[in-house]
Amino acid sequence: MSLKYFTIEERLNANAWDVDIHRPHIKIKDPDKCRTCEKKPCTYMCPAKCYVQQGDYIVLSTEACVECGTCRVVCPHGAIEWNYPRSGMGIWYRFT
Amino acid sequence: MKFDVAIVGAGPAGLAAAYRLASSGFKVVVLERGREPGAKELYGGRIYAYWLDKYLPEFRKDAPVDRWVRKERVSFLTEDKALTVELAITQKEKTSFVVPLVSFVSWLSKLVQGAGAKIVTEVTVDALVKDEKGKITGVRSGSDVLQAEYVIDAEGVNRLLLERAGIVKKLEPELVAVGVKEVLKFENKKVLEERLGLDEDEGLAWALAGYPTEYLPGGGFIYTYKDSLALGVVVYLKNWEKLKTPVYDLIEKFRLHPYIAPLVKGATLQEYGGHMTPVAGINMSPPRYYYDGLLIVGDAAGFLLHTGVLIRGVDFAIASGVLAAEAIKEARSPSAEDLAIYEKKLRESFVLQQLEKFRSADRLLGDESLFRDLTLLSTEAAYRYFNIDHNQRTMFEAVREASKKTRVSVLKTMINMIRMLRSL
Ligand SMILES: Cc1cc2nc3c(=O)[nH]c(=O)nc-3n(C[C@H](O)[C@H](O)[C@H](O)COP(=O)(O)OP(=O)(O)OC[C@H]3O[C@@H](n4cnc5c(N)ncnc54)[C@H](O)[C@@H]3O)c2cc1C
Ligand code: SF4
Ligand code: SF4
Repeated sequence: MSLKYFTIEERLNANAWDVDIHRPHIKIKDPDKCRTCEKKPCTYMCPAKCYVQQGDYIVLSTEACVECGTCRVVCPHGAIEWNYPRSGMGIWYRFT
Repeated sequence: MKFDVAIVGAGPAGLAAAYRLASSGFKVVVLERGREPGAKELYGGRIYAYWLDKYLPEFRKDAPVDRWVRKERVSFLTEDKALTVELAITQKEKTSFVVPLVSFVSWLSKLVQGAGAKIVTEVTVDALVKDEKGKITGVRSGSDVLQAEYVIDAEGVNRLLLERAGIVKKLEPELVAVGVKEVLKFENKKVLEERLGLDEDEGLAWALAGYPTEYLPGGGFIYTYKDSLALGVVVYLKNWEKLKTPVYDLIEKFRLHPYIAPLVKGATLQEYGGHMTPVAGINMSPPRYYYDGLLIVGDAAGFLLHTGVLIRGVDFAIASGVLAAEAIKEARSPSAEDLAIYEKKLRESFVLQQLEKFRSADRLLGDESLFRDLTLLSTEAAYRYFNIDHNQRTMFEAVREASKKTRVSVLKTMINMIRMLRSL
């Protein structure tokens, strides 16, 4: 039995969004904390793979965020400034 | 414009409260940040009917139901083995059903509008508004303030508003899990039914422990919608350090496990998402459920019962919403003193009674060895019992051999099983 592995990009593409390109709703307010953050839980626990490690730093792209709030809770250094996207924008679940 | 009641969040909790209040003539507004009610919501897949009959009997008439659950499955899953227990009901019993939450919520919001309440979507509430005495008098979104006699907080698990109002502390990883979910659609619903051994419109609810979460607390789930499967994993946040695979890959590993893959072959991915869920139940409740001008309902209040296999949030959310509405109907004023009746109602109802009873479930379920030991030992023992070679083993021998192979202590597992029997 070999079934196809859906990459995270393929999976996210199945979703409907209304991306707020003008204002990312999540920010890393203190990138220096990421540099010294040993295990970088955000890269493990974000279901949408919004956090990607590059060297010691983290690149955050919020377009595909599913607004679960996990990164904010799991970040041990309080480095994340977290809010909902502006009214009506962001993920739009239709079948879940 | 001033409302009697402003409700934050068009989830099951907020909508149930709105429906009850509007039906009794209150001027009610529900504020929801999504495009439509349900747009921001994600759950596993099943709603329990027993208490709905008491708190929202309307659902029997016309709420959307994909399938009534007549099969419950629990599996211990390892890399190469699965031990499954199935409970099947052959009568056409109707005690719980599977349906996308967005469909159910959308039905509920029509009921609410029919009763005369206003639902305003695409409004993100930024803060609860207080007067100088600390009484909650409304809500603020951007620069707009909406005044209300009573405010109901039904914002769900993420409860930013309660945090900003200083009522609760920021969520700790110990209190929550993250669920990651895929909806997999079948061209023909017969295929789904045949693969899972289901009669037409018969539903299955399935919880799987072990492999789906790398033997850490949490597990996998599968629910059968009409012509699709809801499949997902739930991981406790506090365990992230022990996880070897990121959660977005964990779910695919689960879907492609040789025991699961044949079931989902040919299905296309319809939606992918994630959401947090309280795992600590009332251990994550705010200090009180009522304040001057404010009532707290649903996930925001920690009203969710989780036993590892069963997860009940929607019926608790609806019941607490209804009780909050009843409390407002009976209260003479929005003072905390008068709203204390809400807590009394919660205590007299199943909501707090059941949650109290399962208060220690959280500690047990967070115990790593439980999931690991039980899964490894039971699958290996079953395998040794059924797999006959030169020797046919007694059950006892099979368990002893399995214990040797997996290095899991039988005694410790038995103690854990007794703990489980008592608190789950
Ligand atoms: C993976 C997973 C599986 C689950 N499985 C099940 C299951 O099978 N059965 C079950 O009964 N329960 C299940 N649950 C739990 C269930 O989903 C919740 O208990 C239930 O949805 C809680 O309802 P609620 O109304 O309190 O909150 P929610 O359903 O979360 O609704 C909150 C609403 O408030 C809105 N909102 C939040 N903040 C704001 C704001 N500031 N301004 C405006 N709007 C706002 C949100 O957009 C949302 O619509 C599961 C949960 C998860 C995560
Ligand atoms: S967990 Fe927090 S501090 Fe660590 S890398 Fe991620 S955002 Fe930075
Ligand atoms: S809120 Fe959830 S989906 Fe969005 S970035 Fe944080 S962890 Fe990822």
